[in-house]
Amino acid sequence: MRFEEELVELLPRLRRFARGLTRDPNDADDLCQAAIERALKSREQWQQGTRLDSWMYRITRNLWIDDRRAAGRRGVHAPIDDAVTQIAGDGAAEVEAGTLRGDVDGAMARLPDEQREVVMLVLVEGYAYREAADILEVPIGTVTSRLARGRETLMHLLGEAA
Amino acid sequence: MSFDPATIAAFVDGELDDLTARRIEREAESDAALAAEIARHRTLRTQLMAHFAPVVEEPVPDRLRALLVDDRVDTSLADRREAKRTRFAPIHWGAIAASLALGLTVGLQPWMPAADVTSANGTLVASGTLAKALDTQLASNQPANATVRIGLSFRDRDGSYCRSFQAKDLAGIGCRNGDRWTLERTMGAETHGDYRQASSGALAADAAAMMAGDPLDAAAERAARDKSWK
Repeated sequence: MRFEEELVELLPRLRRFARGLTRDPNDADDLCQAAIERALKSREQWQQGTRLDSWMYRITRNLWIDDRRAAGRRGVHAPIDDAVTQIAGDGAAEVEAGTLRGDVDGAMARLPDEQREVVMLVLVEGYAYREAADILEVPIGTVTSRLARGRETLMHLLGEAA
Repeated sequence: MSFDPATIAAFVDGELDDLTARRIEREAESDAALAAEIARHRTLRTQLMAHFAPVVEEPVPDRLRALLVDDRVDTSLADRREAKRTRFAPIHWGAIAASLALGLTVGLQPWMPAADVTSANGTLVASGTLAKALDTQLASNQPANATVRIGLSFRDRDGSYCRSFQAKDLAGIGCRNGDRWTLERTMGAETHGDYRQASSGALAADAAAMMAGDPLDAAAERAARDKSWK
């Protein structure tokens, strides 16, 4: 199958992944657009026979991270790690369990970026831990620990009082 | 509960070897806390999948498609016929269901509607061919070439009927909820490239963990079907 055709087939999933990362439909499609443009420009870097989807997800995720960092420097968003993690990490435990019942977007928004991307890859996109680690270019142990934290926060916010 | 949280999570994510998975499943039968923890993790997975599934069904915006597809090229009549034929060819339900549930895009085309799995109130529900198979097909008497193969039928702890199924691209367990089948468990069924395989062992382990009592035998399965799984 041609490179472009494979990418077209990937688009519905890629849009979902981008939606989860950016939490905004327009931002998500902007991200997809940037990712496709990047992929077309660097297509010779993709090795035939390796997985195009993993490669595409990696490009998308890296562009998103770049954008978050740039926005952070411009002061548009809070810096990735500090403020957001405080709200999400420690703050979440103080919030009453089940506060956000049914509000998946709201709960996902409480997650730090590095947890949200793992949650999307494993729990929504269905990648194995090893595959997610390859996409994110981190050790598998990093994937499992971030996933565990993200998952606990989500279950706490969305679930029944323990 | 003798399993740590990471192991329980890995069990739910299908990341454990078969031996450990079976140990957890056996222990869950008698350990209510473990069973509840497994259910809590599954609920989150289903909730997230159902929440994001509709994005895959949306038409891809033209501005994205246009980067990859040159629609201006005037294709030959034969090409156009072929395109038309492809567009209206029977939809392979399994591929679409799997792409909804698991994020695979095997055979998925942007213009195709979702066929056999839909989401309702945040949960995945069987429809079309899958719903029909779960409604009517008997494990004891199914055609060799059936699109959907029914595995075990059983009652869960709430007394609802559940049935495990396997199709070309999707396997899972559907439980009767009113007049629908809620998909309590879904996994990819067949290899496509390196996609994760769902072994029938993992599915059987899930069924065993959900089951109250024994699976239905052929007579009980038929009787339950004849009463519309009520």
